[in-house]
Amino acid sequence: MSTVPAPASLAPALREPLAGLLLAMADDEFVLGYWDSEWTGIAPMLEEDVAFSSLAQDEIGHAQAFLQLRAELSGEDPDAVAYGREPADFRHARLLDHGRGDWAFSIARRHLYETADALRLEALAGSTHAPLAELVAKVRREERYHLMHVGSWFVRLAEAGGEARRRLEAALARLAPDAATVFTPLPGETALVEAGLMAAGNAHLAGRWQALLEPELARLRLPMPRWEPPADGRHGHEASEDFRWLHGEFTLVARSEAGVTW
Amino acid sequence: MSASSADRGAGGERGAGPLLAPDASGHVYEVFRQEKDGDPMRHAGNLVAPDDALALDYAREFYSRRQESHRLWVVRRDAIRDLDDPDLLRPPLDRSFKKPGGYVMRDKLDAARQRAGTTKPAARIDTPGGAKDPTEDLPEEPVE
Repeated sequence: MSTVPAPASLAPALREPLAGLLLAMADDEFVLGYWDSEWTGIAPMLEEDVAFSSLAQDEIGHAQAFLQLRAELSGEDPDAVAYGREPADFRHARLLDHGRGDWAFSIARRHLYETADALRLEALAGSTHAPLAELVAKVRREERYHLMHVGSWFVRLAEAGGEARRRLEAALARLAPDAATVFTPLPGETALVEAGLMAAGNAHLAGRWQALLEPELARLRLPMPRWEPPADGRHGHEASEDFRWLHGEFTLVARSEAGVTW
Repeated sequence: MSASSADRGAGGERGAGPLLAPDASGHVYEVFRQEKDGDPMRHAGNLVAPDDALALDYAREFYSRRQESHRLWVVRRDAIRDLDDPDLLRPPLDRSFKKPGGYVMRDKLDAARQRAGTTKPAARIDTPGGAKDPTEDLPEEPVE
């Protein structure tokens, strides 16, 4: 992080949109990481327990890295941002507002998220903001494995028939309205695209995501989600009861003693 | 409570159907690990997975999530042909005549190299498994 150039190299008008993008990405990873960490100890088998917990840890790590980069712009301490905000101040996509549900639900949600996240990261890989491009290159190397692992579980549950498939279909039906919310347009993103910080805007990415996922869902004869991101898919909506519960959990230690460390 | 709270601790998922039951569709895989490029592959341990794809994922998690491996070999245990028959591996009769200790090679090799004007080849470090000059390990004197 010491090689990050002074944020002054970034046009002032781009700072706030970029900080908003980084916060949205960090919150997505952070909230998903906490949801999926709930499988630690109760995953379907021991090997998957280790794997899924490790994936969840990766996401928390990515959130930390995004918040660290954001701190260069906003000056806000990543820990304070992660553990010091009220539920209404989080900016994660509504897809991540649901509780972890059963195993099929966690896999279905994660597959929708990973495929969307991969396209979002791809759009940032060639960012003109070098620190962002460098970080995204590292994150993508880890997400590649997430995409493989979760994708293989998704197909496995879909092709298993019986209870596994019924649960997967039920999960997709429940997630359908929120599936595309990762691509909710962000304030100021047009300026980010024009300056080359992002290769494409969220509306365009949502279209690419549909082109990627629709054939797979069709081949597996699974229900289609809503492909267009709603305008209020990321902010301006009430935090769900599930998320307020999760927030209580992940802020428990931070609230127990101000500035607590270990 | 929320949906997630209601589902929490739903241990029924642990054994939900034959898909996830190791005894029905799981296989034991043995994992071999190479720590650094050029090192020999060493047995690391084993795991249970329903198929090769997940076995590779789990091997990665068990033996490389802390970046401790350069390469992994993952093989189904039932693909390994086991040989531990003492009659075949360690016959009881005297085998000392099969050991190379009876031949003193070093002086003869040195003389031959001198005649040929060559020097002793250096140990090869570029080959996985680290093939060395085969004469290096030969003892001077008969072992037995």
